[in-house]
Amino acid sequence: MLVIKDLHVKFDNRDREAVAGVSLTIEDGEILGLVGESGSGKSVTAMSIAGLLPRKQCTYSGDILLDGQDLLHAKRSDLRKIHGTKIGVVFQEPMSSMDPLMKVGEQVGEALRIHTKLDRQARKDKVIKAMESVELRDPEAVYDKYPHELSGGMQQRAMIAAAIITEPSLLLLDEPTTALDVTIQAQILELLKKLNAERKMSMLFISHNLNVVRKLCRKVAVMQKGCLVEEGLTDEIFLNPQHPYTKRLIDAIPTRIRKEGS
Amino acid sequence: MMKYVLKRIGMLVVTMLLVSFLTFLAFELISGDPARSMLGTNAPSYQVDALRHELGLDQPFFLRYFKWLTGFFSGDLGISYSYRQPVWDLIGSKLMITILLSLISFALIVIISIPMGIFSYQWGGGPFEWIRTSFNQLCMAIPPFFTGILLSYVFGILFRVFSPGDFPDLYEEPGAAFLHLFFGAICLSIPRIAMTTRMMRSTIVSEMNKAYVRTAISRGNDRRSVLVTHVLKNSLTSVVSFLGQTMAEILAATIVVEQVLGIPGLGRFLVLSIAQRDYPVVQAIVVILAFWVVLAGTLADLINQSIDPRLRLGGDLA
Ligand SMILES: Nc1ncnc2c1ncn2[C@@H]1O[C@H](COP(=O)(O)OP(=O)(O)OP(=O)(O)O)[C@@H](O)[C@H]1O
Ligand SMILES: [Mg+2]
Repeated sequence: MLVIKDLHVKFDNRDREAVAGVSLTIEDGEILGLVGESGSGKSVTAMSIAGLLPRKQCTYSGDILLDGQDLLHAKRSDLRKIHGTKIGVVFQEPMSSMDPLMKVGEQVGEALRIHTKLDRQARKDKVIKAMESVELRDPEAVYDKYPHELSGGMQQRAMIAAAIITEPSLLLLDEPTTALDVTIQAQILELLKKLNAERKMSMLFISHNLNVVRKLCRKVAVMQKGCLVEEGLTDEIFLNPQHPYTKRLIDAIPTRIRKEGS
Repeated sequence: MMKYVLKRIGMLVVTMLLVSFLTFLAFELISGDPARSMLGTNAPSYQVDALRHELGLDQPFFLRYFKWLTGFFSGDLGISYSYRQPVWDLIGSKLMITILLSLISFALIVIISIPMGIFSYQWGGGPFEWIRTSFNQLCMAIPPFFTGILLSYVFGILFRVFSPGDFPDLYEEPGAAFLHLFFGAICLSIPRIAMTTRMMRSTIVSEMNKAYVRTAISRGNDRRSVLVTHVLKNSLTSVVSFLGQTMAEILAATIVVEQVLGIPGLGRFLVLSIAQRDYPVVQAIVVILAFWVVLAGTLADLINQSIDPRLRLGGDLA
């Protein structure tokens, strides 16, 4: 279970807090959606959880506890043990998030190389399995390919495989489908649903698109300018948004799609 | 892999042919009537015609180019106007010395600046920042001829480790000759080591800010293992291109250092031949320099293609 209590993050070169008092809880096996417009602090929240904040360039306070273990104030060396074992992260741009000069298979297996003593062959077997579970076709061939040889959708599947290979209890997804076209986006959402159902993996799914969130997340939190303005069950919020900002977000979805979804 | 190696070598050959043709054409235009200028304005015209025939100058342009080109690759670079000797006999051993000097300098640059680049990235920040930058600036600003004068004075005159004006025979005293060349290489490489180190450092810094580094950290890498497993390899292509340019420049840069340290390489001879309008010699040296440049570029490209699979496609991917 992930608990965030009153998280504040302020970058030294900014006047306004990027995250201004966010409290959130993600239960085991739950997918929480986090929506909000650009610059509202979604990524900074995720980076804080993942321990990827540039600590020297910002001030932060609050608590982030994963199964009782403090993440926000943990030592770097302790964080490295959590990175890639208890928390997996998937970013928006699969292409630039991958090392262009390393074979896909090695990148997918990187967390295993760092955190386990498995030999090359054992790692490869696991990588192939992980690739199969994210429905990458022909994993043996993909293993030896370079990122630029894959399509955007395949790259993102590989990134997901890399994030889940050590079976972390929490998966952070920062706009994982934004850079992909609509059909691929739908496939990735289905995949995430399946992974969540099979593995009971908790997820934080960030998006600026409420409609995408509705397909995947039972619960949603809405951020605006660093603050949470609304939080609750996705369907309830859709039917009865309390905050004017949430209403605007819902109104921004074209009517046709809004009906399709319900 | 084989396919683009062949392709790149094909490009190399075409470029070299082009370079050699343009050089030949240029010298055809500037050299005027060499037979006449060799014999002087008072010589009878039948003598001039005879010399022209002897030098093969009465043949059509393209035939002469073709002969010159085939000769070039079989070691026949023509006859010097001033010495009436085959050009190759005149420049062969000098070329050898200059190339040795360039290669030693280049080896120093590669061996020193790559580790220095990493070192200055790892430990050159914070309180050492200004020491690092000013030392770097200083080294970049030292002209090789100045280092040459300094080294001649200190190691040549004070300590008598080598004798600056008197180059030992390469085959009789290879050790001493090598030492002499080594001092020349130090002069040539100091500013270039400084440049390459700085370049390497700034490439690492910019790679460190890329998105894949964040991914690597999210998998549990520390900064060091990110550097070793991801960033160094990604920084290498820029460094290799830069080194390719350095390698290309360095052969021409030897000229001044050779003068200062009394190294009997191509440099001094080139200057002399230009003054004497000894066109076959100048032409041969120009073509050799151009080939060296093209070769350095090709080597750098081939190495980069073996590092970066994206360059293997057609070379038009960023
Ligand atoms: N490294 C940083 N240095 C300074 N300011 C930053 C940094 N990272 C983020 N910010 C600022 O923090 C605020 C929140 O940014 P954040 O990336 O969390 O927004 P977001 O909700 O993820 O938006 P988007 O939908 O565009 O990804 C922004 O004003 C941003 O400019
Ligand atoms: Mg973001």
